[in-house]
Amino acid sequence: MNMKILVPTKRVPDTDQKIRIRPDGSGIDEENLPYVVNPFDAIAVEEALRIRENSNDEVEVLAVGIGSDDYERELRTSLAIGADRAMLIECAAALDSWNVARILSVIVQREQADLVLMGKQAVDDDSNQAGQFLAALLDWPQATFASKLDFTENGLRVARETDAGIETVVVRLPAVVTTDLRLNEPRYASLPNILRARKKTIERLEFQQLGLEIEPRIQLLHMEVLSTGRNCIRVSGVDELVVRLRDEAKVI
Amino acid sequence: MTQTADVIVIGGGVAGLSTAMQLALRGTDVVVVERERLGNGSTGRAAGLLGQLRGTAESTRMLMDGVEIVKDLEQRANVEIFVQTGSLRIAETPERKREIIDLVEMGKSINFDIDHLPIDEVSSKLPYMRTDDLLDACYCPTDGHLQPAELVSAYIRIGKSHGVTFRPNCPVGEMIVEGGKVKGVLTSEGPLYAPVVVNAGGPWSYLLAELTGTCLPTAALGHCYLTTRPTETNSVDRLSPAVRDRHLRLYTRPESGGLIVGMYGEEAVEYEMKDLPVDFDMSAMTTRRDDIHVARLIYAAQQRFPWINERTPMTITTGIMTFTPDGKPFCGKVSEIEGLYHCAGFCGHGIVQSPTIGVIMADLIRKGETDYDIAAIEADRYFEIPGFQDRAEVKTKCYDMHAGYYGRVEGKAD
Amino acid sequence: MRILVVAEHDTEVLRSGTRSAVAFANSVAAQTDGEVECLVIGHRIASVAKEAASISKVLCLDSESLTAPVADRYARVIADVTIQRKIDLVVAASTSYAKDVVGRAAGLLGGSMASDVVGHTVQDDKLVLRRPMFAGAVTATVTLIGHPQIITIRGSAYEPAVASVDESEIITVDIDESSLPNHISFEKIETRSSHRPDVTESRIVVSGGRAIKNSDDFERLVGGLADQLGGATGSSRALVDAGITPNDFQVGQTGKIVAPELYIAMGISGAVQHLAGMKNSKVIVAINNDPDAPMFEVADYGLVGDLYELVPQLIEKLHAE
Repeated sequence: MNMKILVPTKRVPDTDQKIRIRPDGSGIDEENLPYVVNPFDAIAVEEALRIRENSNDEVEVLAVGIGSDDYERELRTSLAIGADRAMLIECAAALDSWNVARILSVIVQREQADLVLMGKQAVDDDSNQAGQFLAALLDWPQATFASKLDFTENGLRVARETDAGIETVVVRLPAVVTTDLRLNEPRYASLPNILRARKKTIERLEFQQLGLEIEPRIQLLHMEVLSTGRNCIRVSGVDELVVRLRDEAKVI
Repeated sequence: MTQTADVIVIGGGVAGLSTAMQLALRGTDVVVVERERLGNGSTGRAAGLLGQLRGTAESTRMLMDGVEIVKDLEQRANVEIFVQTGSLRIAETPERKREIIDLVEMGKSINFDIDHLPIDEVSSKLPYMRTDDLLDACYCPTDGHLQPAELVSAYIRIGKSHGVTFRPNCPVGEMIVEGGKVKGVLTSEGPLYAPVVVNAGGPWSYLLAELTGTCLPTAALGHCYLTTRPTETNSVDRLSPAVRDRHLRLYTRPESGGLIVGMYGEEAVEYEMKDLPVDFDMSAMTTRRDDIHVARLIYAAQQRFPWINERTPMTITTGIMTFTPDGKPFCGKVSEIEGLYHCAGFCGHGIVQSPTIGVIMADLIRKGETDYDIAAIEADRYFEIPGFQDRAEVKTKCYDMHAGYYGRVEGKAD
Repeated sequence: MRILVVAEHDTEVLRSGTRSAVAFANSVAAQTDGEVECLVIGHRIASVAKEAASISKVLCLDSESLTAPVADRYARVIADVTIQRKIDLVVAASTSYAKDVVGRAAGLLGGSMASDVVGHTVQDDKLVLRRPMFAGAVTATVTLIGHPQIITIRGSAYEPAVASVDESEIITVDIDESSLPNHISFEKIETRSSHRPDVTESRIVVSGGRAIKNSDDFERLVGGLADQLGGATGSSRALVDAGITPNDFQVGQTGKIVAPELYIAMGISGAVQHLAGMKNSKVIVAINNDPDAPMFEVADYGLVGDLYELVPQLIEKLHAE
């Protein structure tokens, strides 16, 4: 079966770096902050490539990004990794999950994609919403937190990482699948692919051309950074440790 | 909080830690100030390969003595630092073959344990390596690697037990220099006074020198290596020999069942350390999936280890090295400023040089002399020499040195 | 505000996060002159509905077609109930179930959703929410725009609601089963009781270092504590090198990079190579017999002593609770 896989990718700050907040708390300080493809989306790109590589049919992998010109570099990363096409939806405004999903739903329909593979969440806002919203808007089945995919006669069999264990569902295509960490380990771009990707064109669409107005759903009032310096509290013994972990740190 | 000491060492990497430990073992009161955590920076990213046979007899002697020092540290700190895997140099071109013939000859002349190794024996020692294109190889059974984490912990532990004061998270903002003499440093926690200050700032060393109004011709260059994660088919014995393939510009050693493969390529990322955030943490450096240097590294690694490709489960370690115009470090006294010593610029070989360098630095500081011939690593060797005073020129020279680091074909050692 | 709490259960008992969600809902209701209903969906769920009635008024939707919690059906049901009952705020505990099902329901209801809420205030009848971003490094204060609003809360941030003496009313809700979508078929669920979560994914990681002498001790001490806490096990490179732990346990620069909510480092000195793999953990506990171990410098809580004595005590203490 010929298939088109659409992979929405988000450009996010590299969260291995120290995140700083602007003095007025209005957002993060972007100076010197390197950006990367959201790691969960990189897993989605990798999975799409593996599907293409393991298929006897034509499979097209389309990476889609929404953002400003700065985004080109990260889309080119997806091309270098092996995506067939990359598309930038030009939109200067910062978007919440709802508006991302609305834009994607238009693109998915325009492109007549058979499968949307995307990260379960973006590691900047950690919302874990866009995939579910997109599936709802398209009225497509969804399988979130995928750790294994297999094509079957009836669609796609997905192993899902849930709190209770590994759940297996079969979703009929077209469908939205969001990826969890254990699905695969993304590859690095090969030297020939990096050079090839430099020559590829990134397709561009202006947000205004989609016939949508932004409908803000979440308003950021303030941001603060948790104190980064740790001050080790030496506990007297096991009892104190348990009390502090439970009542103070609230992690157990 | 200590306000004064005999010696202040700036930089808690292996160069500074070894110097501090050796000074303390000789009864000197030392404070180590480190901008971040001890053992972070280049030290924390290093692979630690120890190939003792170098271009000159003196640098070979320094490394061989280093192994003896490490054996003593291992006993004192009760930790395994040196992993004696043996090492191989391999040749796939006539020039490289010539290099190996010369190397074996030179090694034998100074009684270093080295010999040619037939290719079929190379294959049996390293079944995971491509050997069908090799023309020659030589094997040094006493080589291996120093484990950086364990080496750092030994320096700290022994240093501490002999009175070294460690001040992590304590960056130096200014050098206190009066009348041509160094008096101390101004840190984030206030002033600290000592008649001797050692600049062991690694990639930051040139900035520290600038604080005294002097020039230290070092440059900061990026480097990366990969570590494969073992699978059932690709696991590497922890005592497999290290390999140097100068034609492909690769070095490798075993690590936790996988293989470290690094490359001194022709190109490297240049860093201007003062442009990095004040709280820059080298351990947080990451690489993009489409990093061209990583792609080149993987491409070269695949030539020698055909099972490695861009899909191999692996980790990329990225860091910053300190390069110098001639590939040699700067160790010793600075003539312009009394009391100032440099100990930096190890060009990716700081881990293995540090044991002996600590002894050299301690002797220079305490006695003004050392048993080693340090002409090649004198801190002052570019003093007032035109072409080595200007940052841009220095950077170009260091960059060129790095580009030729593995690529250059060595003539017969003299 | 009319508030709907979406309950999560295993058909027999409520998951504890639901009690926290009810507590959150009660607190908001009290400040907005509101009302709370708890929606229990599933099949053969009488006992769960009864349990829910001990903490809240209950809407019970029991149907064979809702036996498995598949997202498209459950989301449709939640959205329909929300509209029918003129709900202003839908609340659930932030779990994989809620992210999947309630997230999709929010997509059907217009997308005004905030995930992982850890704190809130009510200002002029408007909810002001605090939620973590950047893996907890940043806390954002946000408000939602639009109606109805959907919120998932972190169970650990809110004390669970306790049962009252009087049982509340259970209202049975009927649905038109034929209208439910049927594009996802549930096959099975394998509970993870037999194996531990992956070290990169787990909320809690217990990790052992050089101080652990052999694999039996590792399993007993590190594994034992991990199991007690429902966490994953990790180790320093030293244990991998010594053959005590398999390679995929290694946390650190050349191993795995983790950032769990709780990282317990047992007998790990804290070389930068190890720290590179775990220093972004939210809460770090160091247990080490060397009071000068660098691990204490990055830890939030430190316990100095022999882990061979302390860890069995710790396991026992946690078990007793």
